[in-house]
Amino acid sequence: MHLTKKAKTGTVLVTVFLSGASVFCLFPILMALMNSFKTKSEIFTNILALPAHFNFDNYVRSFNKMKYFTSFFNTLAIVVIGILGIVVFSAMAGWILCRTKTRLSSFVFGLFVFSMLIPFNAVMIPLYRVAKILHFSNKIYGMGSIYVGLGVSMAIFMYHGFVKGIPYEIEESAYIDGCSKAQMFFKIVLPLLGPITATISIMNVLWMWNDFLLPLIILATPQKYTLLLSTNMLFGQYTSDWPAILSGLILTVIPVILLYALLQKNILKGVVDGALKG
Amino acid sequence: MNINKKQSQNFTLILFVLPAFIFFAAFKLIPAVLGLWYSFTNWNGINPTYKIIGFENFAEIFTGDADFWRAMLFTLKYVGAAIVALNVCALVLAVLIESARKGRSFFRTIFYMPNMISMIIGGYMWNFIFTQVLYYIADNTGLEFLNKSWLGDPKYSFTAIVIVAVWGGAGYLMVIYIAAIQSVPTALIEAAVVDGASAFRRFISITLPMIKQAFTICLFVTLNSAFQVFDVVFSLTGGGPGRLTQVVAINIYEEAFGRSNRLGYATAKSTILFLVIMLITLIQLRVMKKGEEEM
Repeated sequence: MHLTKKAKTGTVLVTVFLSGASVFCLFPILMALMNSFKTKSEIFTNILALPAHFNFDNYVRSFNKMKYFTSFFNTLAIVVIGILGIVVFSAMAGWILCRTKTRLSSFVFGLFVFSMLIPFNAVMIPLYRVAKILHFSNKIYGMGSIYVGLGVSMAIFMYHGFVKGIPYEIEESAYIDGCSKAQMFFKIVLPLLGPITATISIMNVLWMWNDFLLPLIILATPQKYTLLLSTNMLFGQYTSDWPAILSGLILTVIPVILLYALLQKNILKGVVDGALKG
Repeated sequence: MNINKKQSQNFTLILFVLPAFIFFAAFKLIPAVLGLWYSFTNWNGINPTYKIIGFENFAEIFTGDADFWRAMLFTLKYVGAAIVALNVCALVLAVLIESARKGRSFFRTIFYMPNMISMIIGGYMWNFIFTQVLYYIADNTGLEFLNKSWLGDPKYSFTAIVIVAVWGGAGYLMVIYIAAIQSVPTALIEAAVVDGASAFRRFISITLPMIKQAFTICLFVTLNSAFQVFDVVFSLTGGGPGRLTQVVAINIYEEAFGRSNRLGYATAKSTILFLVIMLITLIQLRVMKKGEEEM
């Protein structure tokens, strides 16, 4: 009797603590959402109250100022280019590097792995220069390509590890049947890489979508801005106009929250797998 | 025959690796090498020509750049605080979620959510909390301790930065810890329960040693990202007031693209940061490996 009572208090305490932490997690998002519908004076008089009515003027203002559609599709295009390049090229390289046992293959693989230790900060400034020379700066395809270059080493490492676990016999029998290397890769190997491709895609999409510093130095004109850059611009231009800023923040958050709501299970699994294998 | 086979193997190898390698070389390998090279030049981004000046950049950093060293100190302080706060919070959340009877997946979903949002956006939301909401609460409820210049006074903005970093990063580590806790065999726990071990004892003696690998991963991740921290500080204080809350990444960014355009000099700073990160990572891997062997 005494024990169950103790266990019960324990459960209640845990739930209370976790609920408190949830409030902390959601607090800034909810405050931004609530106040994004208010006028400046409403915010001033009662910041904690629900908005008196749903006023979408702020949203119209920030939507236009941010060039929301342009920024959204810029970001989307960059992420699509980046993810296609990373997945296809790394799968090819990771597979062949695992299946070839020569000195060249271990050297190249070693180079990719070693480069994972180089922090972004160490390549940032020269990257700015390389992008200029190649006429990749201020270009959407340029941003996408740079992400491919920065993302492949980790992805190759992960594909390499995954291929190791696939029995070689499957490929061997296809080889005996007269399958060329290219056919083998695209028809037989690539479909087998599904699970790891999902993990790699999730990791990289989140990284590219939420990356700020690289676009900040590569993209120069508002026409080419990503969502984060336009939000940042909004903050810089409307220093104390919180209704405009908050509605802009909410607009930027909506796509990620929708994605999370739809793919929550896959995202959490992908994130864990990525961390354990990376 | 054998040599021919090796050659043809290498030929296919090159064919399949080349696409990835071109992008990798252009945007990672070559910039990394160029970075070392530029450290020894006076390249300034405006003047098309530059010359090699040997160790002058490094000499200037070591003798006359108080801002950089203050940023380095601030970063080290941040790294220490963030690693402890992030991992402790993540581990506590993971353990509590796993011991909860109801709502496990609900809480996990909520706690991970800030991670989906860029720290730039999260930082601006918190900026609103720190500069507007807390004042309002302090004025209307009498919670006087909230009435502080959270982002204007470096004494408090350090705390603010760490709080927001934990808000944005703990969920990620938490899901890793949860996965590790779930992989602990239940038979072990049950045996300990039968032997009469308390929950705390079970955690210390069974769970903690079993999740050592997750611990290594989480430390590695936090260490690396904390040293390069940029977004949180940029959106909260921007490094101000008067560079007092600058971290190294912001100091480098400002040097290169903000005020002086001294790209060669800024590259020398990033080389130093690179060396510091490398050194600490190697030490960490060594210590952790030793610890795992002892288990």
